[in-house]
Amino acid sequence: ILSAIVSLPLIELEARIMSSRKPGDSDVLSSLYSMIPLLFLLLACVELSDAAAAVDVYRLVQYDISGVPFGSRIAALNHHAASLHSSAGADLSRSVLIIPLRELNISLVKGNFQLRLIALHLELDYVELDSATLVMTEYISQKKTLGGLLLLLPQMFNFESGDMAVTKDDIHEMERLKNLLVELEELLIHANIPYPVYFAFEHDDIEAVLADIQRNDVNGQAATPTNGGYKFVVSAPEPKKLASPIMTNIQGWLPGLKPDGDTNQLPTIAIVASYDTFGAAPALSVGSDSNGSGVVALLEIARLFSLLYSNPKTRGKYNLLFGLTSGGPYNYNGTHKWLRSFDQRLRETIDYAICLNSIGSWDDKLWLHVSKPPQNAYVKQIYERFSGVAGELGLEVELKHKKINISNPRIAWEHEQFSRLRVTAATLSGLSSAPELFQRTGSLSDSGYLVSEDAIRRSIKLIAQSIARHIYDQQEDMPVFADDSSLAVDLSYVRLWLDLLSRTPRVAPFLTKNDPLVAALKKELAEHTHEVTVQHELLDGMFTFYDSTKAKLNIYQVASVTFDLLLLLAVGSYLIVLFSFLVITTRVHGLIYNFNHDNCVSSFCLLFFNHPIDQL
Amino acid sequence: MTAFHFFNCAILTFGPHAVYYSATPLSEYDTLGTSMKAALVYLGTAIVKLVCLANFLKVSENDEFDPYQESLKALIGLVDVAGIYFALTQLTHRNISQNHKFQAVGLGWAFADSILHRLAPLWVGARGLEFTWDYILQGLEANANLAFSISMAALGSLMWLRRNKPKTLIPLIYICALIVATMPSITSYLRKRLDWHFPEVVGFELGSSLVMAFISWQLFSACQRRSS
Repeated sequence: ILSAIVSLPLIELEARIMSSRKPGDSDVLSSLYSMIPLLFLLLACVELSDAAAAVDVYRLVQYDISGVPFGSRIAALNHHAASLHSSAGADLSRSVLIIPLRELNISLVKGNFQLRLIALHLELDYVELDSATLVMTEYISQKKTLGGLLLLLPQMFNFESGDMAVTKDDIHEMERLKNLLVELEELLIHANIPYPVYFAFEHDDIEAVLADIQRNDVNGQAATPTNGGYKFVVSAPEPKKLASPIMTNIQGWLPGLKPDGDTNQLPTIAIVASYDTFGAAPALSVGSDSNGSGVVALLEIARLFSLLYSNPKTRGKYNLLFGLTSGGPYNYNGTHKWLRSFDQRLRETIDYAICLNSIGSWDDKLWLHVSKPPQNAYVKQIYERFSGVAGELGLEVELKHKKINISNPRIAWEHEQFSRLRVTAATLSGLSSAPELFQRTGSLSDSGYLVSEDAIRRSIKLIAQSIARHIYDQQEDMPVFADDSSLAVDLSYVRLWLDLLSRTPRVAPFLTKNDPLVAALKKELAEHTHEVTVQHELLDGMFTFYDSTKAKLNIYQVASVTFDLLLLLAVGSYLIVLFSFLVITTRVHGLIYNFNHDNCVSSFCLLFFNHPIDQL
Repeated sequence: MTAFHFFNCAILTFGPHAVYYSATPLSEYDTLGTSMKAALVYLGTAIVKLVCLANFLKVSENDEFDPYQESLKALIGLVDVAGIYFALTQLTHRNISQNHKFQAVGLGWAFADSILHRLAPLWVGARGLEFTWDYILQGLEANANLAFSISMAALGSLMWLRRNKPKTLIPLIYICALIVATMPSITSYLRKRLDWHFPEVVGFELGSSLVMAFISWQLFSACQRRSS
């Protein structure tokens, strides 16, 4: 019925043309012109969606640092699929290699005997982990060409999947997968890959397809229609440079109790956290620990102090400045620009700044990183307060000193930006050593599973208590933020914001000025502070990013060319046989009658058609 | 490559019609006009059937075999028979023998049927990357349909155009005509109630079309032998 309806206008048109063959009949022509767009529209609409499966895929980041290209440089994909099980000498330059993250270890050790021998000889475990990168090394670092690469990640890294029940791995396996992913990401981010690389999540559809492909590859069979040769198609436009990537810094100002003089003369304590992330797949970089935990802690501390400061009797004689900065992974470029925009006087009133970084997945030890030497009086004072409170709470805080090297452009901690402007600052972090460029910046492996709310709660208590002790100049240990008071750390608030941040990818170049997350952070900070300002800055010109981060992969089951040729042969011979059959039965009788010498044919006719030949 | 598949399925679906026309004496007697007129009658019949279906049939949510609906569809299918009657008797043909008339009408009928029902899905589906067996099966179905249409036209011409039929064969003729006319209902019964899959249904159609074609050929030549 559908096809009849589709063809009906055409047929009607045809009928009309045939019935009225007057030239220059505008009636017919006008209906002709009105039918054509309808037909094209119909054709266009129905051509889509005939794939066996359609999967959401996320592209590897593509960026340049000072013109040097990194990441995957191509977005469009249109190749046959292959798996790691294909024979060693197979030509994969026109195939898409699908690699599940879980298999990275195993298939590698199988293929690389030398490495296995070394591992056995030295009885080293870490070689197995490192060997995961070796398969990637073959294809990535040595630039063996591939048509494309599709990496299948376990569901535990999928922030859209929902609750914990989805994952089917135990803790040990999760840990292993996380380490594997960290290494893989590091390799991919710093490589220049001339073919498309996509990430997808394990799902029944794609696992069935993968099983099929692996079975074919193991058997060495060529693809046939019933056994399934698969073609992967991602139709994405050429990736374009992002025009002007913007970093948005949000600051909230909570003024202290002004004496008879001016508020501006009060000293200020700054609490800063960077909220943006960077990872191998910008559409998946949610950064729950780095630095979602920092942002959540900052918001909760702002809430607690706003409660304290709302009552003039308990308002301290310090101003509080809360800063949510962007551009963290890019040597804290946003913090740099934010500080430069400060009034000189304001900068001078800052007593000290505490920067928060990755405080969500530590066990019992936190580090306070500083750039001024520990003997410095200010540093000593800060550290004493922190370690005092820590002792009461049953945790440990260790001081770590890292000198700033002015000539080195790499800025590993946020407090270094403050220190370069001669403001005393420290970073509180669960990380013990300074991360390298694009390390621990909230990448794929930093999913919500690995953050503990309790760790965040304890960090918040530590920081808030230490700052309160400084503000109110308490000597004895009087807990301000006791657990059952009205100023207790609100775990549901922490959970709410942590959940939101664990679902929102936050790579700065892809956040527009009107991004909903930025607006939400601004609104939240406005509720807790007196005055909120938003500052938009351009990202440092050294970094250039490209778009096209998310796409849809269509998986088609295709037939090989040999199948089509065989079918053509079959249909052709069928038609020829039909032709000869019809010719023989309907026309040839005259010929045979004339010749009349081949009794076979006449007896054939008698036998099958039951009358003598001249009757046909 | 997929245009290749479209080409294959297209020649499987429409090739036999062209082959039939050129292989048999139809081409010698220039019966193209008759075939075209039969095709147009088929169009008219299709429109009438659509209107009736739209008016009288309820759309069911599930694919169940509802005897009432199916019998209604069969009744509407008899419009097909009326169409063939019209094509055989009412249209003015050039002076061609009975033998060639029914073949031309059947051919035109089957060709129009294939174009209307199978061209659009073929164009839309067979050119995509995804491979299914459906279009090849559809082509085979078109072949079966050709045989059915020609048998129907033969039986129709026997029923309405021939005056002197042997008495014993008349009930057989009517029974065969009834079977061929209700073939769509039979296949939908097989598909829905007995849950046959498309390949099995096509196989059944091919087999039964060969059987029915053979029987109607026998009947036609038997009547022809008697009359001449």
